[in-house]
Order: sequence, then C-alpha cells, then structure tokens
Amino acid sequence: MALQIIEKSDLAFFVQNLMDHFQLEGVQSKGQSVYGQAFFYGTIRSPAELCLDFDCTVMPPKKYFLPPQEALFRFQTGPSPACFECRPNKPLVIFGIHPYDLKAISQMDRVFAAGTPDPHYLARREATILIGIDPTHVAPRSFWASMEAAVVSSGFDLMMTDLGANYIVETGSEKGKALLGDYAKVRPATSDEVRQRVSQRSHIADMGQKRGLTFPKREIPILLQHSLTSPLWEENATKCLSCGTCNLVCPTCYCFDVWDDMELNLTQGQRLRRWDGCLLSDFARVATGENFRGTRTSRYRHRFYRKGQYLFFGILDDVACVGCGRCAAFCLPDIADPVEVFNRLKEKLN
Amino acid sequence: MEKAKVAFFDFASCEGDQLQVINLEEDLLKVVEAVEIVSFREAMKGHSDDYDIAFVEGSVTRRSDEARLKEIRKNAKVLVALGACATLGGVNLLKNFQEAENVRKFVYGDKAFQYETYPARPLKAVVPVDIDIHGCPINRHEFVMVFKSLLLGKKPEIPNYPVCVECKMAESICVFEMGMTCLGPVTRAGCGACCVTEGSYCWGCRGLVDNPNADSQREVLAKYGLGLRDILNKFRLYSGFSEVAQ
Repeated sequence: MALQIIEKSDLAFFVQNLMDHFQLEGVQSKGQSVYGQAFFYGTIRSPAELCLDFDCTVMPPKKYFLPPQEALFRFQTGPSPACFECRPNKPLVIFGIHPYDLKAISQMDRVFAAGTPDPHYLARREATILIGIDPTHVAPRSFWASMEAAVVSSGFDLMMTDLGANYIVETGSEKGKALLGDYAKVRPATSDEVRQRVSQRSHIADMGQKRGLTFPKREIPILLQHSLTSPLWEENATKCLSCGTCNLVCPTCYCFDVWDDMELNLTQGQRLRRWDGCLLSDFARVATGENFRGTRTSRYRHRFYRKGQYLFFGILDDVACVGCGRCAAFCLPDIADPVEVFNRLKEKLN
Repeated sequence: MEKAKVAFFDFASCEGDQLQVINLEEDLLKVVEAVEIVSFREAMKGHSDDYDIAFVEGSVTRRSDEARLKEIRKNAKVLVALGACATLGGVNLLKNFQEAENVRKFVYGDKAFQYETYPARPLKAVVPVDIDIHGCPINRHEFVMVFKSLLLGKKPEIPNYPVCVECKMAESICVFEMGMTCLGPVTRAGCGACCVTEGSYCWGCRGLVDNPNADSQREVLAKYGLGLRDILNKFRLYSGFSEVAQ
C-alpha cells in the first residue's frame, strides 16, 4: 500500500475511532519531574491525552506482552486435581511506539518464540496492533542511532512520521491496512511528501547521533570476548545498588520468576510469574541456597554479556540493546550506560 | 487434621500491625477458620499458653520484657516478628541515640523514676526469631502469604530485592527525579512501593535488604544534596539497630 497522509486535524478523529473500537494504549505525560515531563504508556481515554512528541517513556511498552505480574494457570489439588488455563487475548492497539522500542519488540518476539514458545507472550502479541511513530525529540541519554534503531522498516502495523503539517503513514501489515481503511481519514501521499519523509528520517538519524558508540555495533561481541577480566566491571559494580532498575526499564530484559500462590483454603491456587532482573542479588540463587552470581561484579558484568554476546549468538544475530538509554537515565549511581561501558572497554583494549 | 493453635502478643508498639490483621476483611474469616486462635488481646477475650505459632508485635524496651518474650519463645514452635518494631526495633529505637535521662524526663516528667527502661531492640536481639514480617505497618497481603506458607509447612518468600523493583512495576516516577530523596534502593520490598505510589518517598520501614550497598546509597543521597547528618537520620528512623546507622 502506498504511503498515506493523515492531516493533523484528522488525528483526533482516528484516535477517537480507535478508542471506540479497541482498548487504546498510548503515551501520556504523567507529570513534571526535575528533568522535564515523565512519559508513560497508559490507557487513552480522550484524544487529547495521547502524546506523540515525547522523547522517551520511563517504562518501555513490554508490559503489554509481559506484564509485571501475571497468572500462568490456575490449579486445584486434592482428590480430583485439575489445571485451568489463563490465556490472555484482550485486543489492544498501542499508539505511538518509537523505532527503537519496535525493534526491541521484534527481538522479544524471536526470544519468546525460540526453544519452547511462550504461549502467554505470543497470545498477547498476536492480539496487539502496533502503531509506530518516528521520534521528534531525543532523550538526553538515548543512543539509538548507534544501535541501528533510528528507523525501522518492519515490526509495526502502521508507522507514522510527523511532517509538520500532517502525518505520513506506512502500512506494515494487513491489520494496519484495515485499521487505516476502517477508522482513519486518509489520502495518498504526494511525491513531495514522500521525499519530505526521506529527509525527515535522515534528519532523525542525525539527531540520534548526538551520542553513541565510537565503533561499529557489530564489534561488541568480539569486544566482550576480550574484556572478561577488565577492571571496569568491578570498578563500576562497587557502586551498584543491586536495585534492578536497569533491568526493569529495559525493553529487552525479559527475565521472570515463577511461583505458586495458594488460596487460604489450601486446595486451590495459581502459578504466577513476575518480572525479575539479573542485577538483583538473589537472581541466581537456587533452592539449596547456593548463589551462582553472588557478587555485584559478576551480576553487573553478566548484563552486558547478555546484551552483547549471549543473545547475539544463536537467537538474535544482533546486540540485544536498542539504545533507548533508559538504563543510563534511571541508574542512580550512573553506572549502567552501555555507551559509556562499551566505549571505555574499547578504549582500554586499544 | 488438628488445627494449628495461634497466639498474638505485643511489646512496645502502637499495635497497628495486629490491627492490620483484624483489618483483613473477607480473608479474616478464612484465617480464623483455618487455625485456632487462642490468644489475641486486641481482638478477643481469653488466653491460653498452649500454642504452635506466636505472632509478636513490638520492640523490647525493658529488661523485664525479656522474661516474657523468652516464655513465648519457649511455648511457640514458630515465632513470627510482626512489624517494624519487632523486626527492626522500629521508631522506638530513636531514643537509643539520645541521652536516656532526657528521654525519660521528656516522656514521664517527674515520675520518670517510676518507669523502668533500657535501649530499645528488636525481638531477635533477645530470642531467635523464625520469620520477620516487616513494615510499619505490615502489609496485610504479606501477612496472609506468610500465614499460608506456615500452614503449608514451607518457607515464606520474603522479598530480598529493594523497593525500586516494585516502584518500577507500579510505574511511579523515581522520587529522586521529583527533587526528593528516598531509601527505596536499599530497603526491602514487599510493600508494593505504596508510599512512593501515593506521592511520598520510602522511609525504609521494612529495613534493609540482606546485603545493602550502603556506601553507594550514601553517595547517591549526598549527590542529591543530603548532608551526612541527614543521611544518618534517614537510616536511623527505622534501621537504627543495623550497623549502617551507627
């Protein structure tokens, strides 16, 4: 489908229509912090609530596919034991996802489909329509251009770019096409507008270059291969609070803990899972009490290897970091910034 | 199967943690049904020394408290400390950092000589404690979780990760970004980050995680403008018994 135009004056019509037919989730400002507005994903209840010119949200949209806590199944013990499915499939439209977060979702799709596919994640993904938006602002700690996530060509149902007077929209799937056809007022883009999109996107990529890696991203796995004993790990880890913030705000951190919660009648219960994080001190503790990553240094280092090496080989063929910069922005001792870490490792190696 | 016998006791405290138990609403009926409660001064008449599980609220603030606590320990198969005063010493411990005579006179005036007192301490400073249910007050859901674990004969999963985790899950704006300071990064979670979610900051009422990086937390607090005295006071409000606050 050729690129389409939604006039800015018709955006509210589109948003209202989506609200009427779906649960619509999008970016909202949740208030002012000392660093500016704090953006979060939440349910959109009026078109005016939807924000499309945010720089970066505090939390990524991963909660829509992997909620902070969810029931995997319910069960009953006793003489007639039984198991009951909890299969989520509430249809959702998420309006306004930046390219780096779309890239993260594409990566997570591969992770959750690999090996034993995760039915809960995949059912939620299947039931969700993603509307991307190219960024108009860059958050201070973002470095997505370095991670080749300034622009994406797949992983969305619709992709919008703000051209000033209007939005130009690319269709990425049949679902997206139907969404435009059924709920938006559109017209085909002129060749001028198509050219404007190209220049706008190269401008965005330039904006994203403000900070980043001093070397090509594909060298990260090999850099890590030579950095196992770097003093940098301990130097930074000494300041690590083990609070897990870098994991929790990361769009490609997906680890979880699983446990059973019984009812007070002690015969029925549910198996739950909850976000976990490899920086938390008990992440690698097992039932006997042994902790396989008992030191801050081993946990701190692990995260970078997970992103830069372990997921690279075998599953993603890519670095599992999209350059959103959330970990850097929200780490209180400021030791989590991948740009800082990778560039310093590179420096030390040279 | 015979029902487990449960008793509630209190030492120096506001009894707010027992109140949280009484405040369990529909779960309270299920709790009462699942066990036999033999002693609970705040909720019922009657008392028996024959019990399996003792929930004990409050800190120990008098030498004479020790014998009573040791007696409870002797009678109970499982002793559970209920709330910050019992698990940490709580705010009662603030007096330990002041001149004892001044504190006594401030509270009891010219009758101070009639009242016995000594430095406040958590239960575990006097007797072995099996399980800590932290918080000021306790989280009712956590009480029910521990209660169920005891009935099932398994170890309750008390979080050993900090409040930051629950804050991120609740999608709150970081307190430090709101121009305030917070003990969340080193404080044991389990409260659902309720104070931050309601617009305040973490006071540290659930005590520190097992292996807190107190040095880094001090540096962070200093970076956000807190002086040494303020930092110490922050730690002392609830965690005065830990070495971090000394």
